[in-house]
Amino acid sequence: MAEKQQTILRTQNLQAFYVLEMQGAQKIVKAVNEVNLQVYENEIYGIAGESGCGKTTLLKTLFNEIAPPLRLIEGKLYYRINDAEVDVTGMSADEKRRLRMEYISYIPQGSMSVFNPVQRIRGTFQDFIGSHVSGKNREQVFELAHRRVLELGLPRNVLDTYPHQLSGGMRQRVTIALASVLNPRIMIGDEPTTALDVVVQRGVIQMLKEIQRSLKNTIIMVTHDMGVHANIADRIGIMYAGKIVEEGTTEQIFANPSHPYTQFLINSLPKFGDKSMRDSVPGSPPSLADVPKGCPFHPRCPHARDICRQQMPDLTRLNDDHKVACWLVGGQDG
Amino acid sequence: MIFVKRYLIPRLIAYFLVIWVGITVVFFIPRLTPNDPVMRMIGEMRARGANLEPGAMDGIISDLTEMYGLEGSWLDQYGAFWSRLVNGDFGVSFFQFPAPVNQLIGNALPWTLGLLLSTTAITWIIGNMVGGIAGYYTRRRWSRAMDAVAMVIRPLPYYIFAFALLLIFAYLVRWFPITGGASLGALPSFTWDYIRNVLWHSFLPAASLIVLGGTVTFQTMKLLVQNVNAESFVQYAKLGGVTEDRIVRKYIIRNAMLPQITGLALSFGQIFSGALITEIVFGYPGLGMLLYRAILNGDYNLIMGITILSIVGITTAILIVDLAYPLFDPRVRYV
Ligand SMILES: Nc1ncnc2c1ncn2[C@@H]1O[C@H](COP(=O)(O)OP(=O)(O)O)[C@@H](O)[C@H]1O
Ligand SMILES: [Mg+2]
Repeated sequence: MAEKQQTILRTQNLQAFYVLEMQGAQKIVKAVNEVNLQVYENEIYGIAGESGCGKTTLLKTLFNEIAPPLRLIEGKLYYRINDAEVDVTGMSADEKRRLRMEYISYIPQGSMSVFNPVQRIRGTFQDFIGSHVSGKNREQVFELAHRRVLELGLPRNVLDTYPHQLSGGMRQRVTIALASVLNPRIMIGDEPTTALDVVVQRGVIQMLKEIQRSLKNTIIMVTHDMGVHANIADRIGIMYAGKIVEEGTTEQIFANPSHPYTQFLINSLPKFGDKSMRDSVPGSPPSLADVPKGCPFHPRCPHARDICRQQMPDLTRLNDDHKVACWLVGGQDG
Repeated sequence: MIFVKRYLIPRLIAYFLVIWVGITVVFFIPRLTPNDPVMRMIGEMRARGANLEPGAMDGIISDLTEMYGLEGSWLDQYGAFWSRLVNGDFGVSFFQFPAPVNQLIGNALPWTLGLLLSTTAITWIIGNMVGGIAGYYTRRRWSRAMDAVAMVIRPLPYYIFAFALLLIFAYLVRWFPITGGASLGALPSFTWDYIRNVLWHSFLPAASLIVLGGTVTFQTMKLLVQNVNAESFVQYAKLGGVTEDRIVRKYIIRNAMLPQITGLALSFGQIFSGALITEIVFGYPGLGMLLYRAILNGDYNLIMGITILSIVGITTAILIVDLAYPLFDPRVRYV
């Protein structure tokens, strides 16, 4: 992380809202609100935040999967494709489809219903790969898929099983094998470790790290579990009410958490040898259909001042890569 | 094989047990009603003006009792009933005496099969195709419009809808005949004239069944497709950039069809009780009409014949669904 890194994905003032029509009235859920992200090649970028703060929606938006009721209100999304920065929001459906698996892939939660229940895992591999590779190459990719499955410690016969015959951990590994098989530049994971027990979770984290290291690509991973982030992420973005409120390297975030919300998230982690109850964040997150004025965290913040109730602070640079949006920490007006 | 021992044999035993219980119930229920078919028959003969002397009367009563299989205790009757049944003999009809029940059913069955096999198949195919497409494009305006139309048609009581068709197209504009399966006097034959005659007569009953049944199938399939479309495995395939035609064929349709296949088999099983109301409204000479007359006349043997056919039809359909289902859904395994 020493030298300047090449940006692979960048957003500019990204705003994606759910626009819901309910008996004539319009309800707007501001799930992704003015997000400016810059994600580098060859890094694991973690996104953290309580459930309901917009993490999944942000990932969908970064994945360029914006379908009603979700709408892109404003902003740009750029991928770096073949050394050129491309605005991908205006792409046709087929252009978007082609990028998937090959350039950017998605790792879902390996839940019970993530694979087509009526076909063998092999069928899923064939559909996913066959939709992107044709002719002779397809054979080679199937070879590669076989090899990847073995490398990831999955039994050889996993391709011949039906999804319901696999454990949660195995299904999760299969999704990772599938996401990496065409060597994409970016892999996006939405809580891929959340449903797993701790031992299996550790294995999956290890696997993700190894794949990232060998492909030298980028992983953007969402989880609400700060402990997982500590294990896997190079940099972390803290999300609250649809906004990134703090961003920094993993060391910076854990050594010097600067947003009161980040401090709560970190303090709620259990510490080795400490048997006292951990504090959780007081109160509950706001509804994104009705976000408080000013800093959205102010109703739960022990340090809230007048200005916090009036105005949202900008994301300001503390040092190097460490940025925070809080009036307590050098935030200025406008 | 484990499958045969652990699943197939118990399943077949259950199959025959259900049929046995069903038929036994059908045997005893009419005998528990206060209706005495022999006395009814005599009453009818009297009403027609037959003058019966007391001596002749006793003879007729015992003849009828024997003919109807009502001799001896219920247990004796039950034994005699089964020994006839295993030979495929349902006895004679009480009220179209002395026609055997087999013959009456044989005359009515082709009409019912012809009408119901074809309408059931057409209903299923059209309902599922249109419902599937509308479910996939559920946000389009035309899909919502179809939904609205279905919502108007669906709650119509069937007999009112059928009568309305009859009134408009047979009585007012006279495009179709009011009653019957074919024109009176038309001889059954494989000529184009006769076939056209039958099709012309069956048009309104078929239309009534297809429109109302198709609406139900449409709504069911539309909902199924909408639900499957929202499942994580479909969402995941989309995020994996799987081509739309693969997703539609192998992910959505394939999964949404599972309950519909079961439904189709069960509808075929139900064919043997006929389409009671349809046949009554349109005066169609099928099993439903036959059953209706049999019930009106207290014709035990005929009621039993049709009901038994229906019991066997439905239980067999369920058996086939159960045995064939693992072929469609790998999550179901019988071992
Ligand atoms: N399909 C949807 N339609 C309407 N609102 C949605 C939809 N999906 C999510 N939301 C709302 O958007 C907000 C953010 O949700 P989400 O991105 O899933 O958060 P997270 O992943 O952090 O739990 C929530 O308030 C949620 O209710
Ligand atoms: Mg989520």
